[in-house]
Amino acid sequence: MALLEVKNVRKIYTARFGGNQVEALKDVNFSVEPREFVAIMGESGSGKTTLLNILAALDKPTGGKVCLKGRDLAHVKERELAAFRRQNLGFVFQDFNLLDTFSLKDNIFLPLVLSGKKYDEMEKRLMPIARTLGIEELLEKYPYEVSGGQKQRAAVARALITKPQLVLADEPTGALDSKAADELLRLFGQIHEDGQTILMVTHSVKAASSADRILFIKDGEVFHQLYRGNLSNEQMYQKISDTLTVLTTGGARHE
Amino acid sequence: MNSSIYSRLAVTNLKNNRKTYVPYILTAALTVMMYYIIDALSRNDSVGRGSLWQILSMSTVVIRVFSVILLFYTNSFLMKRRKKEVGMYNILGMGKAHIAKMFLVEMLITASVSIGAGIAGGILFGKVMWLLLLKILHYDVNMDFAVSGTAAVYTLVLFAAIFALTLAYNLWQIKLANPVELLRGGSEGEREPKTKRVLAIAGIALVGYGYFVALTTEAPLKAVQLFFVAVVCVVLGTYALFVAASIALLKILKKRKNFYYQSRYFTAVSGMIYRMKQNAVGLANICILSTMVLVMVSTTICMYMGMDDILTTRYPREFEVTSFYPDKEAEEKILRIIKEEAEKAGVEEKDIMAYHSGGAATVKKEGAFNIAVDEDVYSGSEDVYELVMIPAEDYNALEGKDISLGDGEILLYNPDADSEKIGGTVKIQGEAYKVVEELDTFSLEEKNSSRVINGYYVIMKDEELIQEFLNKAYQMLSKEYSQLDEIKVSYKVCLDFEGTKEDCRKAEAAIKKRIKEEVPQAYCDGREIEQESFYAVYGGLLFIGLYLGSMFLMATVLIIYYKQISEGYDDKERYQIMQKVGMSKREVKRSIRSQVLMVFFLPLAAAVVHIAVGFKVITKLLAVLNMVNVPLFLTCTVATVGVFAVFYAIVFGVTAREYYRIVG
Repeated sequence: MALLEVKNVRKIYTARFGGNQVEALKDVNFSVEPREFVAIMGESGSGKTTLLNILAALDKPTGGKVCLKGRDLAHVKERELAAFRRQNLGFVFQDFNLLDTFSLKDNIFLPLVLSGKKYDEMEKRLMPIARTLGIEELLEKYPYEVSGGQKQRAAVARALITKPQLVLADEPTGALDSKAADELLRLFGQIHEDGQTILMVTHSVKAASSADRILFIKDGEVFHQLYRGNLSNEQMYQKISDTLTVLTTGGARHE
Repeated sequence: MNSSIYSRLAVTNLKNNRKTYVPYILTAALTVMMYYIIDALSRNDSVGRGSLWQILSMSTVVIRVFSVILLFYTNSFLMKRRKKEVGMYNILGMGKAHIAKMFLVEMLITASVSIGAGIAGGILFGKVMWLLLLKILHYDVNMDFAVSGTAAVYTLVLFAAIFALTLAYNLWQIKLANPVELLRGGSEGEREPKTKRVLAIAGIALVGYGYFVALTTEAPLKAVQLFFVAVVCVVLGTYALFVAASIALLKILKKRKNFYYQSRYFTAVSGMIYRMKQNAVGLANICILSTMVLVMVSTTICMYMGMDDILTTRYPREFEVTSFYPDKEAEEKILRIIKEEAEKAGVEEKDIMAYHSGGAATVKKEGAFNIAVDEDVYSGSEDVYELVMIPAEDYNALEGKDISLGDGEILLYNPDADSEKIGGTVKIQGEAYKVVEELDTFSLEEKNSSRVINGYYVIMKDEELIQEFLNKAYQMLSKEYSQLDEIKVSYKVCLDFEGTKEDCRKAEAAIKKRIKEEVPQAYCDGREIEQESFYAVYGGLLFIGLYLGSMFLMATVLIIYYKQISEGYDDKERYQIMQKVGMSKREVKRSIRSQVLMVFFLPLAAAVVHIAVGFKVITKLLAVLNMVNVPLFLTCTVATVGVFAVFYAIVFGVTAREYYRIVG
């Protein structure tokens, strides 16, 4: 069974006083299998962020449904929503979204604290993750004391510590220099190999080329998808670039 | 640039910042109003130039100082919030001169609205306050109320000056800063503060010393002097403790992992540590202000409600006549006048006591009493004793006894209920006397524990001996008493009247009048006739206590409100991140509640502790003012704290909601 199923999802924004209707998502269909690493690409305004918000249960679709492990997100009660997100989803944001008032360690603990976990258990969970991400030495530091790459690694640790079904990453390399971006993508690959399902929204061809599968969104629809098969990252890079060229120059749909 | 654009910009700015400007204008208007009312009252002719006037004009000074502080303080909040906006204008090409012009227009609008509304409100509510004052003072005299032009002008000038000062401050701030700094404005000073050990220890030492003084001072007069030392220590200590100890405390909480890592405290504790640098002084301000309000209101209410007790303590007997240069003729005349006038008014004299006495303040040292000079008296030392010497003949008459004493023999009576007998011989100004007996009762004063200064009644052989002592005293103190030819043994008659209150008052007034006319160097004191002047003083104090109390309360409320609002803006982003990471609305609400709760009730709790510790020393101070009814004071204090807490809780509710609205 697919881990995440997106069926006929539509999203229409209506201006507050009647007025214009904007169709952000027309008809989106796709599914994500467990242990898969999927990248979603598309230009600004293609509906990527809307889609991600719907997947994260931060927004509700106008039509269609989103199921996580067979459970329809629309059926999760408002009161349980935050807990549901906490337990099943991990988030990595472009601008890290770390809290300056917490040390990196406390930032990573935040979702566990919200879940009411005991301190000993939190510690136990933290150490292997911190080791994988190479931030063991930085745990007591505050966000304003470390570099962007280190911040993002802490944010990844925060996403992973709840052992989520699915990690949603929104432009995770967007605010990083190329070296830090490469390092982060390497880590994503490693986490993925350890069995974590990842869904990443990105602009960057480089970032997308590390995924198993790439979905291209245009005008609110899944326009095209690419499978890695046995291709290397460099070959993927080339393929994605070609697809993007076709997309932007308005090539016909082909699947 | 077109000049009308400044006014348009200014109006838009005020509109956009209404969440902070409306409370500011409201506060300013209320402050103006309260100042105007008090100023107008103190200028009112019917108030006269007595103690009430003194109280009123003193409080105008207090309000003046307070207004400056309050308006400056709130203004600095506003400026901090607006730095970013100013930086933006600056970057978009507005010169500092233009910004200054815009600020000038804004300040003109704010100032004219608040001063105008304040004076108008003052004229409206002045009448109400006036009636309230009359009611409190028990004045049935026809005192009229008029709108005071002088007060209005004075208020206008004063507050225009204050606003001009704040404007100057704001412009100076803008002049100093560069645009990039201005843009960052709101988020300055955000780094985890270090624990300041020395300051924390100093704070503990200061508060500890203040508390020690408050708890161990027994003598009321000593308390008067030490009270201010203690208050200053506790105030400084409170600031030090809030600045240093609060951070230390929060860090300890943070170290206790099982407490800290709970969703309710996690964000609140870390958020408070993070911002404690700015918080601490504000919280200390709130604590001091609350303590002030509570002490002021509870003491004034207590004194007003205990007026009867105070009068009874101050005048143990209903009526007293004292003649300072008595002779046989004067003494008989006094008694005759009392009898005649009592009869005329239809009241009966009761328990008349008449006696001669002479006395002086002395310092007791190793069993010897020596006449005290001023410095000794003002030191408030417990060794200062007031000696009242009474000849044996009068003692026999008062007590219905028949004793006779030799030249070197005395009887002693200490009215302090807890006193120990001294016995043996005592020396009074060089002369040794044998204490024949130390009395257990004396009808002039029952044993009690409410005396402000210690004292002894000394029964001596005869008037001549007492006069000898007085002569010595006169020689020693002749500088201060140079307007007198000599000090003589005085003659005192005290008594109660039986009859209706009205008749008693009439009798007392008539006796007072006749004695003043007919007996030279004689004075009257009486509960009924003095009541009015007591009401003027204590009623005036109550009025001012409530008035300043409500003003300080307003300031407290406002400071908390501003603090929380500006924190809300700072926290907005943090709470948004936490919601993204998986904090539910309910948890956000709960976390905000516990954070706001800590900010609110930490200072209140500290204020209550201050008051609990200060309770004893305040009762001593009240004793100096003849208020010895401790249970009444306890009731007043508890009630005041209760009412204050209710107010506080309401403000807490409003603030928490507003905070949530900003964050959510």
